[in-house]
Amino acid sequence: MNHPTSHDELLFPGDDPSPSRRAFLRLAGFGIAAGSLAGCSRRAPTSALSWTQAPEDVVAGRAWWIATTCGGCPSACGALARCRDGRPVKLEGNELDVDSRGGLCAAGQAALLGVYDSQRVPGPRWQGRSTTWAELDSQVGLELDALRKRGKVRVLTSTIHSPSTRRAIQDFVGHFADARHVAYDVPSAAALLDAHMHTHGVRVLPDMRFERARVVAAFEADFLGTWIAPVHFAARHAERRVPGGDRSMHVQFESRLSLTGSRADRRTRIAPHELRAALERLRDEIAVRAGAAAPARSSLREELGAAIERIAEELWGARGASLVVCGTNDLAGQLLVNEANALLENYGRTLDLARPSLQRSGDDRALEQLAGELERGEIDMLVCAGCNPAYELPSAFARALGRVKTLVTCSPEHDETARIAHCVAPEPHFLECWNDAEPFAGSLRLTQPTVPPLRDARTLRSTLRAWLGDTGSDREHIEEHWREAIWPRARGSESFEAFFRRALHDGVVELPRENVATPAFRGRVALEPSTPGPAGATLVLYAKVTMPSGAHAHNPWLQELPDPISKATWGNYACIAPGRAASEGLSDGDVVRVEAGGAVLELPVYVQRGQHEDVVAVALGYGRVGTDRFMRVGPQWIGASPTVDSGDAVGVNAAPMLAFEGGYLRSDVHPLRLVRTGRRAELARTQEHDTLQLPEDLAPHGHAERDLLHARDGHGGHGNPGLWPDDHANDGPRWGMTIDLERCTGCSACVVACQAENNVPVVGRDEVARHREMSWLRIDRYFAGEGDEVRADFQPMLCQHCANAPCEAVCPVLATVHSAEGLNQQVYNRCVGTRYCANTCPYKVRRFNWFDYAREDELANHSLNPDVTVRSRGVMEKCSFCVQRIQEAKFEARRTGRPLADGDVRPACAQSCPARAITFGDLADAKSAVARATADPRAFALLEELNVQPSIRYLGRERRAGRKEDPHGH
Amino acid sequence: MTRRQLVGYFEEDSQVVHALRICRERGLETLDVVSPFPLHGIDEALGLRRTRLPWLTLIGGSVGLALGMALQYWSSASDWPLNVGGKPFNSFPAFVPVAFELTILGAGLCTVFGLLARTGLHPWRRVGPERLRTSDDRIALVVARRDASHDPRELRQVLFECGAVEVVEEELP
Amino acid sequence: MATRIRATTLQVAPAPTLVAPGTRSSDVTRDVCSPLERRPGRMWWIGLLIAGSALLVGVACVAYQIKVGIGTWGLDRTVGWGFDITNFVFWVGIGHAGTLISAVLLLFRQKWRTSINRSAEAMTIFAVICAGLFPVIHMGRPWLAYWVFPYPNGRGPLWVNFRSALLWDVFAIGTYFTISLLFWYIGLIPDLATVRDRARGWRRKLYGWLSLGWTGSARSWSRYEVACALLAALATPLVVSVHSVVSSDFATSVIPGWHANVFPPYFVIGAVFSGFGMVLTLMLVARKVMGYERYITQRHILAMCKVLVFTGSIVGLAYATELFVAWYSGSAYEQFTFANRMRGPLGWGYGIMVGCNVVVPQLLWLSRVRNSLLAVFVISLLVNVGMWFERYVIIVGSLERDFLPSSWSSYVPTPIEFGTLLGSFGLFFTLFLLFCRFLPMISMFEVKTVLAPEHGAEHSREGRA
Repeated sequence: MNHPTSHDELLFPGDDPSPSRRAFLRLAGFGIAAGSLAGCSRRAPTSALSWTQAPEDVVAGRAWWIATTCGGCPSACGALARCRDGRPVKLEGNELDVDSRGGLCAAGQAALLGVYDSQRVPGPRWQGRSTTWAELDSQVGLELDALRKRGKVRVLTSTIHSPSTRRAIQDFVGHFADARHVAYDVPSAAALLDAHMHTHGVRVLPDMRFERARVVAAFEADFLGTWIAPVHFAARHAERRVPGGDRSMHVQFESRLSLTGSRADRRTRIAPHELRAALERLRDEIAVRAGAAAPARSSLREELGAAIERIAEELWGARGASLVVCGTNDLAGQLLVNEANALLENYGRTLDLARPSLQRSGDDRALEQLAGELERGEIDMLVCAGCNPAYELPSAFARALGRVKTLVTCSPEHDETARIAHCVAPEPHFLECWNDAEPFAGSLRLTQPTVPPLRDARTLRSTLRAWLGDTGSDREHIEEHWREAIWPRARGSESFEAFFRRALHDGVVELPRENVATPAFRGRVALEPSTPGPAGATLVLYAKVTMPSGAHAHNPWLQELPDPISKATWGNYACIAPGRAASEGLSDGDVVRVEAGGAVLELPVYVQRGQHEDVVAVALGYGRVGTDRFMRVGPQWIGASPTVDSGDAVGVNAAPMLAFEGGYLRSDVHPLRLVRTGRRAELARTQEHDTLQLPEDLAPHGHAERDLLHARDGHGGHGNPGLWPDDHANDGPRWGMTIDLERCTGCSACVVACQAENNVPVVGRDEVARHREMSWLRIDRYFAGEGDEVRADFQPMLCQHCANAPCEAVCPVLATVHSAEGLNQQVYNRCVGTRYCANTCPYKVRRFNWFDYAREDELANHSLNPDVTVRSRGVMEKCSFCVQRIQEAKFEARRTGRPLADGDVRPACAQSCPARAITFGDLADAKSAVARATADPRAFALLEELNVQPSIRYLGRERRAGRKEDPHGH
Repeated sequence: MTRRQLVGYFEEDSQVVHALRICRERGLETLDVVSPFPLHGIDEALGLRRTRLPWLTLIGGSVGLALGMALQYWSSASDWPLNVGGKPFNSFPAFVPVAFELTILGAGLCTVFGLLARTGLHPWRRVGPERLRTSDDRIALVVARRDASHDPRELRQVLFECGAVEVVEEELP
Repeated sequence: MATRIRATTLQVAPAPTLVAPGTRSSDVTRDVCSPLERRPGRMWWIGLLIAGSALLVGVACVAYQIKVGIGTWGLDRTVGWGFDITNFVFWVGIGHAGTLISAVLLLFRQKWRTSINRSAEAMTIFAVICAGLFPVIHMGRPWLAYWVFPYPNGRGPLWVNFRSALLWDVFAIGTYFTISLLFWYIGLIPDLATVRDRARGWRRKLYGWLSLGWTGSARSWSRYEVACALLAALATPLVVSVHSVVSSDFATSVIPGWHANVFPPYFVIGAVFSGFGMVLTLMLVARKVMGYERYITQRHILAMCKVLVFTGSIVGLAYATELFVAWYSGSAYEQFTFANRMRGPLGWGYGIMVGCNVVVPQLLWLSRVRNSLLAVFVISLLVNVGMWFERYVIIVGSLERDFLPSSWSSYVPTPIEFGTLLGSFGLFFTLFLLFCRFLPMISMFEVKTVLAPEHGAEHSREGRA
């Protein structure tokens, strides 16, 4: 088999959009190669082993990059796959993507593992038996012929952002008398879409330009963590978070403590049932300022009302440069938000409808209607793709699926839906296939395969086309669609081939904006008077930053990635506010029975400060069938307890509690009953002590709190004079890093990036509970404040590469020494494992291989980075500043005969950060970005009083008014 | 020819010292005193020179010190200098403990093996003629007997007078 | 310190004799040698059975740990040392009393040491053996333990890091073991000769071989005494250096609660203290089991009690100094660490350590306590417990909560670790019991020098040197 082969600087999106002649030829060759690749994807190779005869222009051991698109979620961030020896080993953001700006979230990067998932279905199945595509096509063909004239056919998908696939679905649906395409999202944004249908006449999401907003008011919208396109929002929001003149003001109104809320300048807890009234008050307050007559005050909690008035004033003050976003799936609420934004003149400025976002298109009313049809057993054939309705929809819906005459699913794994489906037509992993995407109108992504399909799979596009008798390959379909529909919109002089090739090379294409009038606000929509929902306990179902949806549940990296807020791994839990926990006598780890929406869950409690007292929050995306595969993850010894019991699942599935309310799939459910079971299940958390406050009875006088987050006055970050002369030559670079604590959102993308880049093992629940997680880069989370005031400070913590490293001095065998470039090096094969270095490390960033960690899954091992040693038992390991990348960059510079430039070296963490909080470079070069950042007055060396002289400088959080900075705690 | 010697067994160390003096006065050649525990004033009485073992100890110690320092300096600062925790290649203060231990080790080994060598102690050493209870509670005074001089009976007499509980005549091949 | 001991011992009036009156050299020989010549008693067998099985448990635990990994211990990313190094420091400390008794007291002409120094030295050697095991098995890759020696190798040659206190340990412990072993063996030679002369058949061959053909001629004795004096003079600074080096493992790091200048003297005196505690325990048992009441007399026990009171008080002073310095330093980290040590999660451990090491020994001021064998025995045991906890509190307590609250953790030892600790005691007592059985447990020729004959004063004969 031939393969995309090209040097990194060719497929790597360089600065000039038009590739050199060599690149031209190479890419032309690539086209053919890829064609044949797609052509032979019918064969199902069983492994992605390196070639025995490599194509002659492939240099073994040198990586090349292939532009692709992340398929982790519908926001479709541009991505680059780093390929080695014919297989992708790392996913990174595509710098050319103007929206993600090179960032990629934790889930996106972890999605790499999916391609090497040994438990994907090997090929198509019919009536429970595995079959061939030809066989399957003929069987389904017969059924479809019968249904063409009469019979209900439905295609049920999650949001489809691929224009060519959307087209294929339309064509498919068009062939039947009664067929429809229904899309849904969980959590749903349908109300937001419908609201714009009402107020602007277009069913789209406005593109939210946080970077233009001086004041941001977010209601139940975790836009930095999970809401719609967090990577894009974080990148834009971060621009305005740097202390200084135009620092934006961010106020959060929410029921649980979300990642976004934990970073807000001001935060007000609000119960879901108060939300609509609050929004109404906000709308009114703004309307009054806009000159409307003062309306009748709706009833609202006193302090909440005050908070709303305050933010209304601030928003009004910044009208045109303000932004109100709301995550609720309540149409009335969203209409109020749109009106407020319209009154604030935000449309066209901070809310862009000229280039709307197509990242959500789910339609809950259509879904509810389909649910009815299913109930009545009217559906003859249901084709599910990119979704898992049996798992992620309300239990009633899941039950009704059983009434479909022919249930077809395209899920790549043997999931809940596949288990009840008559026909399984598996889709390939997004790294295995051709695809395209249009996350924003006029902003397109092109996806090319990075590895031959490891399973006998076929995209939904091809499958549907095949059922219509078109047996063309994916690439043909896409090229055809682009030629007809996309290329003309480019209105460029470029030939289609050149255009397509550029798209292929860059991965992203920005089409010129069509000059059509952007839809304007049509005025207030008549609403039934606000009826505040029932008070009392409410269950809030949320998506977790580390587990955005159940589709990722089989990903060990994400399962073990600590939630940035709770720091818990491996499973979900019931977040309960401290007051409620106290009154019910509950504490962390008490198992409670949660009864709501006609379903019952048993979960351990996690007491979450900053959460509304009436709210119990449970994460979706857990309890997936088949997650007992993790039973034997981590070391097996007499003292070990399994991560999950056989036949059991990691966490529990809260989706059955979702409920349709007023035609919308609501994730806030009431009433709720909470019953204590008396059992306990300890949470596996990576951080025991949650604040910088010392225990009151032990704190020295005047030092109730450890100040690790701020630059201190009178300290420039350069330590005291040393006792001894420094006789170590240090010419050439001195690598260093700065981490901006104001920009960092705690999203944990860097943690997964590090794990993927450096082959950090997964150790399982038991080991995490024993505080033996192996992550080289962790994010320390410190809560401050209580109630509304609660915030979280995040501090990415990795090896500080100290110039006076305490760890080096104590190693008896010189297994950790200092390089001439300022790196603190760990020599695995010299280490005898005394752990003395780890004890002496003031930052506790060293990780010890307590066992030989299981690497039994041969296929999964193909995701290992060949440039990084897989450490064996008994040796110490830690962050290396991605020394393999430093070396690669040096070799590359030498090969191309140019000096190493600033930015040539990018550790995985720095590369992945959507908020660009991490800067890496050569401190010796005064002009380098990192050197300049180090000069920032906020820069400080952590624990500098120890004079270990770290190479990392943190850009501290600035002490702001309105924040409680009481050194003596609360 | 065979050498013959008389061995007088005593029970009290004071008697042995006394006996030695008498024998000296009479010009008898006292060869050795064998005792289950060290006796004091015997060396002078026997006219033994003070041992030079301490010099050996000094030499051993010095060698240990020198080697210790040399090894550390050479391996850390000369043979393969490595930047360890920002400390200079020649971190002299840090080298002191090891140098000290090696000093002690050298001195100790030299002392012990010096003792064994000079005293001729080794596992295969044959123990001389069976001496009665000299490792228990008797102290033996060994007096040489020349064929010409002295009459053995007189000699025995002297030893008995000094308090010997028994006198035995030995023949050495 | 030693001079103080001398003063106190001399103040004992009327001084109970060092050896029961009327004991004659021949009695000493007979009493000490007979246990080696007759079949061992029931008590000995029971002791060996218990010690042996404890040893087996330890062997099993260590084997499993080496096969599976250090993860079988309760350590984590924050607490890298727990039982392992605690036991190491504990056992090294135990050893020190032996050297002290045989060397320091020898230099200071303390005659009361004569009947206990042999077993005290044996104790030293066995304790150091136990101690030496832990740094090896605590390694992630113990099969590479030899890498800590500076030997020419094919890795550059890559040498070792002479700046690491852990490497100083290698040399300190190595030297200490070698010198102690030689000193002990040299001291054994004359008595081995005695045993040889009483023995027949293969035992005669064996002991003849071991005694290196010692006869006891005056010239040998004079060299012998000088050599012993020299070794004593070497061993004395050595014993001080060894525990100073051990304390440097902690003192040279940056961790609050470890990083303290007071550590070397603090650890040395603690070592002497715990060592004497263990000597007392052993002697009290041995004189019962082996029937050595007439050689290990009330006077020895009283002398050791005084050492306990004295060193115990200094240990108390060291604790106080630590607290004072923490307060005086003005370092918030130090202050928190010690507040945490006293009242934090390991506060109970701190209580045990202060109670057993500082408070309990003070009871020995009371002559009623001092003269009750049972009371002294219990106190000596408590001292050992207390000193073990001292190390545990210092090592684990300081690591559990250091600079960044995010990585605070709590260490919970696993059964494997308890088994290993048990095993080290098993090894120690197994070796000691074998020693009692096959070697003269009391230095005969030295006791003979302090015998009080029917006529003449007590101190008629001078001891070694």
